[in-house]
Amino acid sequence: MHSLYSARRTWLHGVSAGLKLSVLAIFGTLQFFTESLVLLGALALACLVLWVSLGSVAWGARRLLASLLAACVLILGFHFWLGHPMLGVISTLRLLSASLLGIALTLTTPSTALLSVLERVLSPLQKVGVRTERLALQLGLMLRFTEHFFVLWKRLDDAHRVRTGKAGGLRLLAPLAIQMLLAARRVADTLQLRLSDQNL
Amino acid sequence: MHSTRSLALVSLFAALLAVFGLIPKIDLPLGVPITLQTLGVMLAGCMLGPRRGLQAVLLFLLAVALGLPLLSGGRGGLGVFMAPSAGYLMAWPVGAWVCGWVMALLPARSPRAAAVSAFAASCIGGLLVVHFFGVFGLTLLAKLTWTQALIGTLAFVPGDLIKCLVCATVVQTVARGIPDWQFGGRTLR
Repeated sequence: MHSLYSARRTWLHGVSAGLKLSVLAIFGTLQFFTESLVLLGALALACLVLWVSLGSVAWGARRLLASLLAACVLILGFHFWLGHPMLGVISTLRLLSASLLGIALTLTTPSTALLSVLERVLSPLQKVGVRTERLALQLGLMLRFTEHFFVLWKRLDDAHRVRTGKAGGLRLLAPLAIQMLLAARRVADTLQLRLSDQNL
Repeated sequence: MHSTRSLALVSLFAALLAVFGLIPKIDLPLGVPITLQTLGVMLAGCMLGPRRGLQAVLLFLLAVALGLPLLSGGRGGLGVFMAPSAGYLMAWPVGAWVCGWVMALLPARSPRAAAVSAFAASCIGGLLVVHFFGVFGLTLLAKLTWTQALIGTLAFVPGDLIKCLVCATVVQTVARGIPDWQFGGRTLR
């Protein structure tokens, strides 16, 4: 499973994950407090310049940008059709800016750095019993299970094709669920043995 | 044991949501995509109960926010939480919680009863709650009126009803295959 993060260095890679997340959070909130077309337009332009400054990394994520632009066109078209063009432009500019910043952050920040910021931010919750140190383990397990799902799905589908000559489709969902639930129980047993001395 | 089992099951259902996102979406004639991921939300709630169902969906959304391309069409990253459909994403944890909560309230004495309860729980949590938040998100982010957003979301409802039926079928099969499974956080008798 590959992250959307790009290992090709850009200037934004040098900025710390915490700072990037803070800017995104503050910017995303503040732009909802203004309806000035000039200000929102300027912000959207700044975000676009930031996006273009990422060069080939931004070009590599053109699929993400295409789906964002499609959503913007739909919103704009809908508001024009309903006779509220200004509202459409304002909403589109807000979405475009925030989404461009979000995608830029994702492309230039490794998931481990984001996870580490998140664990730091959530650490006060440990005082009320939330085990934030489990997050990395759970994410790792999730990715492992994702692979296992595909392997098992393929095995069940092959067996179904041999019997019927057709693809299994949604019929495989129930047997797949049962086998995965049983696998999860086995994993839980193993984890219990491995982690019992780590108080996880 | 209870704690590690929770950990494994939460990760498992987060993985199920990820797998459903990698299965190609079906496009309705109007261009509205139907993905299997809301089925994952329904299953997480019905199978795991409110607390663990909520955790599974939150874990999945965390992986998406961290940049893994797990949403249908290979989308991921923080940008998706600012898109017009963000309301639907934010609704998933609540939907899973409500599914689990309703499932725990309804009878599940036999596989058939469990299936009927799962259908009702999915309709309430996975359909009504998710669409309510989705519509709310559309009014907030895309500045649509409630009526406009509601009309827009109706195109998803037939597909979601089919997902509720699929969820009920899976629950029934699991109830037969694993008789001691705790639906909605309690034991099937």
